[in-house]
Amino acid sequence: MIESKRRRRVIANIATYFVLATLSMFCIGPMIWMFLTSLKYEADIVTQTMQYIPRRVTFDNYVAIWTQSGFPRLIANSLVVTFLTVTICVATGTLAAYAFSRFAFRGRTQLMLGYLVVRMFPAVMMIIPLYVVMRGVGLVDSRFGLALAYTSFLLPLFVWMLKGFFDSAPKELESAARIDGSTRLGAMVRIVMPLARNGLVASSVFIAIAAWNEFLFALMLTTGQGSRTWPVGLQLMVGEFQLPWGVLAAGGILSILPVIVLFAIVQRTMVQGLTAGAIKG
Amino acid sequence: MRALGELSETRYWIYLLLLPSLVMILLVIAYPTLYGMAISFREMRLTRPGLGGWVGFKHYAAMWSDPVFWIALKNTVVWVTAAVVLELALGLLAATALNRDLPGTKVFAVLILLPYFLPNVVAGHMWALLLDPRLGVINDLLVRAGILQTYKAWFADPNTALAATVLVEAWHGFPFFALLLLAGLKSIPEDLYKAAAVDGAGVSAQLRLITLPMLKTVIAAAVILRVIGLVNSPDLLLILTGGGPGDATQVLSLYAFQTAYKEFNFGYASALSVVMFVILMIFAAAYIRLSRITKGEGDD
Repeated sequence: MIESKRRRRVIANIATYFVLATLSMFCIGPMIWMFLTSLKYEADIVTQTMQYIPRRVTFDNYVAIWTQSGFPRLIANSLVVTFLTVTICVATGTLAAYAFSRFAFRGRTQLMLGYLVVRMFPAVMMIIPLYVVMRGVGLVDSRFGLALAYTSFLLPLFVWMLKGFFDSAPKELESAARIDGSTRLGAMVRIVMPLARNGLVASSVFIAIAAWNEFLFALMLTTGQGSRTWPVGLQLMVGEFQLPWGVLAAGGILSILPVIVLFAIVQRTMVQGLTAGAIKG
Repeated sequence: MRALGELSETRYWIYLLLLPSLVMILLVIAYPTLYGMAISFREMRLTRPGLGGWVGFKHYAAMWSDPVFWIALKNTVVWVTAAVVLELALGLLAATALNRDLPGTKVFAVLILLPYFLPNVVAGHMWALLLDPRLGVINDLLVRAGILQTYKAWFADPNTALAATVLVEAWHGFPFFALLLLAGLKSIPEDLYKAAAVDGAGVSAQLRLITLPMLKTVIAAAVILRVIGLVNSPDLLLILTGGGPGDATQVLSLYAFQTAYKEFNFGYASALSVVMFVILMIFAAAYIRLSRITKGEGDD
């Protein structure tokens, strides 16, 4: 009886590892292939017999994407847009998330729901009027304009996520500070913010990754070199110059590098915040 | 700073906290949304600046007799349904395996979650390379395994194009389900399973009587968020196929975007996205109601 139970457990463990290994391979296999491709000479990519392990390795593709195509400019634009988006979200969203988490007020539930319903708006439905409005005030083809547009779908997300982190910061310390004569503002800045620091960082990173990756708004709202971000630039390069596969792969690897690094650093807290927000909502 | 501190003691404080984000939201969401709805009742083409008058329901009437609209609607339903079902299945599998917490699970969890954070542009081109008709590694593997006779142009064949894009989307989106379902599984008390085991319930009975009912809320939330996301974002299809070949992978969001981006016909594009939004609202309301009914009353 016990013997068969143990055997069943061993079989279940083996099955679990098999599932996990298969799914992991499915997930990162394509990325590994892209990485290998980026190290190959073009002649070894366009070949009759597939080379699974590159016979010779080159960094030419990386040099090519970096020097021959305005790629650094695209990356710089993306960095600026991402930074502006995160700044706007943190500056305005932190206060709102704190208010939602700590105060009961009239219309609170409705307002929070409103922040959520915004997610249902089709991107296209936002893009067209945003384009018309921004063209009217001269914000088309500007990095600030694009960051403002990103705020339309990232700010509500940021508020929801951060509220979850504020909720899980204990209220007792805050009350103690208040009794010791601290103002509400003082308690917020000196007690609650440090407690929710990890959550603030994780929420910001989530917003940053989303802004860094965004494609559709950028395609519509940027027209020139001055504000074009890397996803749009890379996509246009593929269309215009028939970008060689190796160079395209190198560009892909370079642009997801920051995402992977950031994700690896704050992955645990971010996952916690994502699930908490979604499950309660 | 001092004055602000004093201000924080008044009853206006809460409104001051909410004001900045509210202004932002009104500015970049509420106003554009209403304006967008208004555009759908107007003639607006950037290529012909003279136009701009109100045309009532003209665009909506045009949609009714637009064959591409109906194809796109059908494709949207097929594409979203297939992708969500596949993602839910893969997500459930991943979450169940991760939830056993065997040694090394953390590493697997990071690897499995990674695709969700990758940009559409890179994901799209990566898969285009993998499935390429001349040098795609997946074709090579399938031929070697004897499943395919020759390399196949997955995205160029109207019969396989939609399925191929569903595969890419599933790769990109299933970690989202894994993430939420894992959190759901973790919130089920261990005692329930122990009690069931004592009562003699087997693995399948435990799955049917404990896991699935307890996961119902999470599954409902995940499905609804994912459906909204999929219906609204044409990115991946725009990169992979552009709606082609023919209209084999044309979906509503892509059709609306191309109408705006390529033809600058903002009026018709707005009307298309308003219809999309209304369909989503109806779906969301019906889905929430349905999952409430099956869940029983009282709990939320």
